[in-house]
Amino acid sequence: MNAIQVDHLRRVFTTNVGRFRRESKEVVAVDDVSFAVGDGELFGLLGPNGAGKTTTVKMLTTLLIPTSGSARVGGFDVEHESQKISSTIGFIFGGERGLYWRLSGIDNLRYFASLYHVEPAVAAKRIPYLLDLVGLKDRGNEKVEGYSRGMKQRLHIARALIHDPQILFLDEPTIGLDPVGARELRLVIRNLQAEKKTILLTTHYMFEADMLCQRIAVIDKGNIVALDTPEELKKLVLDLSVIEVEVFGVQDDLLEKIRKQKFVDNVSVENRDQRQILTVQTPRGSEAIPDLMAIFDGRRVGKVTSREPTLEDAYVRLVGGDA
Amino acid sequence: MLNTARINLRLFWDGAVLSYIALFRWLRPSTYIASKVFGPLVYMLFFVLLGRYATGSSDASFFVIGNAIQMCAWSGIYGITMSITGDHWDGTLPYVFGAPANRLIVFLGRAFIHVIDGYLGVVLGFFWGITLLGLDLSQTSLPALALVVLITTISTSGLGMLLGCLSLMTRNVMFVNNTVFFGLLLFAGANVDVATFPGWMQSISYALPLTRGIQAGRAIVAGADLSQVSGLLSTEFLFGLIYIALGYVLFRWFEKQAKRRGTLEAV
Ligand SMILES: Nc1ncnc2c1ncn2[C@@H]1O[C@H](COP(=O)(O)OP(=O)(O)OP(=O)(O)O)[C@@H](O)[C@H]1O
Ligand SMILES: [Mg+2]
Repeated sequence: MNAIQVDHLRRVFTTNVGRFRRESKEVVAVDDVSFAVGDGELFGLLGPNGAGKTTTVKMLTTLLIPTSGSARVGGFDVEHESQKISSTIGFIFGGERGLYWRLSGIDNLRYFASLYHVEPAVAAKRIPYLLDLVGLKDRGNEKVEGYSRGMKQRLHIARALIHDPQILFLDEPTIGLDPVGARELRLVIRNLQAEKKTILLTTHYMFEADMLCQRIAVIDKGNIVALDTPEELKKLVLDLSVIEVEVFGVQDDLLEKIRKQKFVDNVSVENRDQRQILTVQTPRGSEAIPDLMAIFDGRRVGKVTSREPTLEDAYVRLVGGDA
Repeated sequence: MLNTARINLRLFWDGAVLSYIALFRWLRPSTYIASKVFGPLVYMLFFVLLGRYATGSSDASFFVIGNAIQMCAWSGIYGITMSITGDHWDGTLPYVFGAPANRLIVFLGRAFIHVIDGYLGVVLGFFWGITLLGLDLSQTSLPALALVVLITTISTSGLGMLLGCLSLMTRNVMFVNNTVFFGLLLFAGANVDVATFPGWMQSISYALPLTRGIQAGRAIVAGADLSQVSGLLSTEFLFGLIYIALGYVLFRWFEKQAKRRGTLEAV
C-alpha cells in the first residue's frame, strides 16, 4: 500500500477582490495532481512560488478540503477519515506563526503532546529529546516570543515529531534556518528516513532536494510537469551544458537578445551583491562561449565558467524563467 | 475506555491551564493579583455608590448583590473569548484542528479556569460588599448562595463561549465583547430592577444568562431557601447549557467552514 495516494486532486479558491464592488474571483491553486508516495519514501515536491505546493500539502494534512479528486494518507481518505489521518501524520509549514508565543517552548510541546494523545510519561522523555534534536536544549524554558525566527522554526520541527508520526509533511522546513541549522535539519530528515518514515518535502533549494529525495515531482501552475528520480530528471538536460557568466548590471534588452540566439536554450539571472550570475543553457557547451561574448560586445564581464547541468538546471528548463 | 477518559482529562487540564497562562503571562504576579483584587473593589464602589446616590436609599444591598454577581462576566465574557480567539491570533488553529484531539474537550478546556476565575471574582465582590459596603448576610444560607453563584458563573461563561466562537469569525472581538458586557450590565439587572423595564427589554433580559442568577442571589441573601429559587436556578442553568451547546456547534461549524474555504489561517 502506498503511504500517500493522490488522484486528480484539485483545489479552487474563491476570493473577493475590490473594496466596494465585491467581485469574486476564482484561483485554481491545484489543477489536476496525481502521484503516489511509497511507504518509507522521501518524496520531494518542487515548484515556483504559487505553484500549489502548500495547497497540496494542506489537503493531504486534512486542513483543506479538496474541490474535487481524492487522496488517501496512510490508507485513509483525507476528506472523510480526517480524524484517523491526523494521529499518524506530522506536519510543518515554514514560518514563525502557529506556536503559543506566550508559552515556553516546553509548554508548547506539552500542549501539543496532549493534543496528540501522547502519554504524559512518554512526553516527559520525548520533549527533552526533541529539544536536543533541534538544538533548543538550553532555551526550552523561555517564552517563544523571545525566540528568533529560526528557533521558532526549530520548535515547529520538534512539535511535528512529538507523537512520533509515521508520515511527515515538511513544507519548506529549512526556510529561515542558518546554514549550520539547515544542515543539521537535513541530517535529522535523513535519520527519519532511516527510521522508515514516509516524508513529503517541499523546498526551493535544489541541492537539498537532490541530496535528500528519492523521487521528485515538479509542480507548476497547479499541475505536475515532471515526476522522477533526481538522476532521471537531470537527464532531461543531459543534452545541455551550462555556461555561467558573471556580469555587473544587466539590461532586459541584452537578456532578450541572448535568449533569441539559436544556440541558447534558456537563460536565467541570479543576483549576488553587486553582480549577477547569468546562467545560460546551451547544447553547444563551452564552444558557445565566444559567440556569447560577442553579444556582450565589450561590456564588463567577470568570471565565465562552463559546467555539467544540475538538478536546478533541469528544474529551470521545466518551469522556465528566473528560478 | 478508561484510557480515553484519562487522555481527555489530560487534554482538558493542559488546555485549561496553558491557555490561561498564555493569556495572563504578560502580567507580573503582583500586577496580576492587584488587578484581580482591587479591580473588583473599584468596580463595586463605583456602581454601589452611584446606585445609592441615584436612589437616595441607604440600603445598598440591591446594588452590592447585583454587581458582585455581575463580576463573573469579566472572566466569563472577556477571559473566555480571549482564550478561544487566542488560537486565532497565534495562528495555531491549523495545528489544533490538524490534531486528533477531541474538539469538545478542547473547547471546554479553554473556558474552565475562567469559570473558576469568575467565581472567585464574585466571592471577592461579596467580600468587599460585606467589609466596606455594609452587606448583611446574617439571614443568608451560604451554601445556597454559593450554588447560585456557581450556576450563574457557568451560564454567563456559556454566553462567553458562544461569543468566543463568534469572535473566531470576526476581527472586532473587543467591540463585540464590550457590547455584550455592557449589555449584560444593563439587561441582567445588576443596577436596575428588571421589572421596571419595558416589555421588549424584559424579553431580552430573560433570554440572557445572569438575570435569573442575580434575582436568585438577592432572594437568597434576603433569607429565602433554595427551594424558593429552584425555578430561577434551573432555568438559569438550562440557559447556560444552551449557550454552551450553541458555542460548541459553532466551534465545529467554524472548523468545517474554514477547512472548506481555506480560511483557517486568515487573521
Ligand atoms: N487561502 C487561500 N485563499 C485564496 N487563494 C489562495 C489561498 N491559499 C493559496 N492560494 C492561492 O493558490 C495558489 C497556490 O498557492 P500555494 O500556497 O499552494 O503555492 P506554493 O507552491 O506553496 O508557493 P510558495 O513556493 O510561494 O510557498 C496561489 O496563487 C495562492 O495565491
Ligand atoms: Mg508554499
